[in-house]
Amino acid sequence: MTLAILCRRAFSDLRQNFCAQLITTMVVSLSILIFAFFTLLYFNLQHFVDRLGAELGLVVFLSEDTPKDRIPSLYQKLTGLSEVEKVTYISSEEAFGRLEKFLKDEKEVLEGVDPRFLPPSFEIQVNRAMFQLKRIKQLAGEIDKWPEVSKVQFGQEWIDRLYVFSGLVRTIVAIIGLLLLFTAAFVVTNTIKLTVYARQEELKIIRLVGATNIFIQGPFLVEAFLQGLMGSSLALGVVFACFRFFQGIEAKSELLRGVNICFIPWQYTVAIIASSVLLCVLGTALAMRRSLRL
Amino acid sequence: MISIESSIILLKDVSKKYSTDNVVFSGIDLEIEKGEFVFLTGPSGAGKSTMLRILFCAERPTSGEVWVDGVTLSSLSNAQVPYLRRKIGVIFQDFKLLSNYTIFDNVALSLEVIGLGKKQAEQRIMQILEGVGLAGKTSHYPLQLSGGEQQRVAIARAVVNRPSIILADEPTGNLDLQRTEEVIMLMEELNARGATIIFATHDDRLFENTHRRVIRLFNGRIRI
Ligand SMILES: Nc1ncnc2c1ncn2[C@@H]1O[C@H](COP(=O)(O)OP(=O)(O)OP(=O)(O)O)[C@@H](O)[C@H]1O
Ligand SMILES: [Mg+2]
Repeated sequence: MTLAILCRRAFSDLRQNFCAQLITTMVVSLSILIFAFFTLLYFNLQHFVDRLGAELGLVVFLSEDTPKDRIPSLYQKLTGLSEVEKVTYISSEEAFGRLEKFLKDEKEVLEGVDPRFLPPSFEIQVNRAMFQLKRIKQLAGEIDKWPEVSKVQFGQEWIDRLYVFSGLVRTIVAIIGLLLLFTAAFVVTNTIKLTVYARQEELKIIRLVGATNIFIQGPFLVEAFLQGLMGSSLALGVVFACFRFFQGIEAKSELLRGVNICFIPWQYTVAIIASSVLLCVLGTALAMRRSLRL
Repeated sequence: MISIESSIILLKDVSKKYSTDNVVFSGIDLEIEKGEFVFLTGPSGAGKSTMLRILFCAERPTSGEVWVDGVTLSSLSNAQVPYLRRKIGVIFQDFKLLSNYTIFDNVALSLEVIGLGKKQAEQRIMQILEGVGLAGKTSHYPLQLSGGEQQRVAIARAVVNRPSIILADEPTGNLDLQRTEEVIMLMEELNARGATIIFATHDDRLFENTHRRVIRLFNGRIRI
């Protein structure tokens, strides 16, 4: 079969069965839309918690009697740890300066206070890629055992809880997303089956006059490809529009600033489109198998 | 002795059963020479259509072996069936026209499946439609035609790609005397150009005065 005939047949098919094609595309689109919203939710939860986790650093307080010349070697030791991204030394004086700045107008209360009354400390930023609450706890425990260290402070308990909670939510979202994916696959393949079965007589006749399976399937597969591609692109387009809309709200709202919502990573966007195309094409090929015997 | 060389269709001990109490025919031996024009007759339900359906692989025989144009049908895979069908033009008893295709497109389909575009084949299609008296209705749809007109579309579709074998299943069942004459003439002409023709009919008058071979199916057997 020549490509010209395939294209012509696919095109005339599209025109003739426009309604059925449109319905299938819509079903694909709605199924993907629901799934994509859940994916968006999932990635934003993950993004949010990850960011929160990475921002949550450690503060290592040194005992006041730590000699000044130990500082560089401690600094070296800390930067040597694989979990650590960045270390900043805050001397007693700097800490005092920060406190003064924080108090602004009321800094008189500090008058007469020894500027070295605050212990020197290290602020540690945790490596983002390494971030795991369990490992941070472990790290804190290890550093706490060093003789020069008086106290290691890290994320308060509520962050701990938030982390567990968000893990739970993410699992639930993932499960619902997976169920939705199955539902979508089921609905899409059945819609395709219906449209193929509605034309089974026609397919049988075309086969009886000497058409090869490729000739018969070709236009259907081209249509399935387009349905999968357009349906999923449309759905992702809608999700993207919503995402931009939320972004707009976020920029205006004081409360939401810093939430910093993210879109579905592009690899997943591509994967969703590819799966949608694959689903439609495979569904069509399977639904047609029956019409192509003898 | 039957020889595969000179015969284009050969059946050996062929039987077809749909179930134990629905035996269409059994033990059929039949040989048809290249270029022959035979009539296949028998009462309604004798198995004429079933026999033709076996020849173009729309049905597999329950037992026995069939050769068509040198090909052993039992060895033919589903993927190879279309290539056999391109050598065979079938006029279906129930027409099997595509109701959402125009008359022109219905006929063009036979050529499209072998890779001929509508433009290239237009002349050929118009010529054949003229031959069956439907040149004025090419853009009609099958349901807008009478039964006889639909039958002639079916004939046009079967012969447009100049097949070497034509299986005609009651091709004149819905036609008046004059149209019947015309269809017989068309078949004669195609036969004269070399096509082998099996003409299934239960109308004795069609072959009363011919010298053609008549194959009679009766009670699941061939009666000479
Ligand atoms: N798909 C089928 N399933 C079961 N039985 C069938 C099937 N197709 C045909 N038959 C049986 O095979 C027998 C022969 O049918 P066939 O159509 O070949 O007869 P025919 O000689 O063409 O009759 P007619 O002159 O009426 O067209 C019938 O008795 C019919 O019941
Ligand atoms: Mg019949």
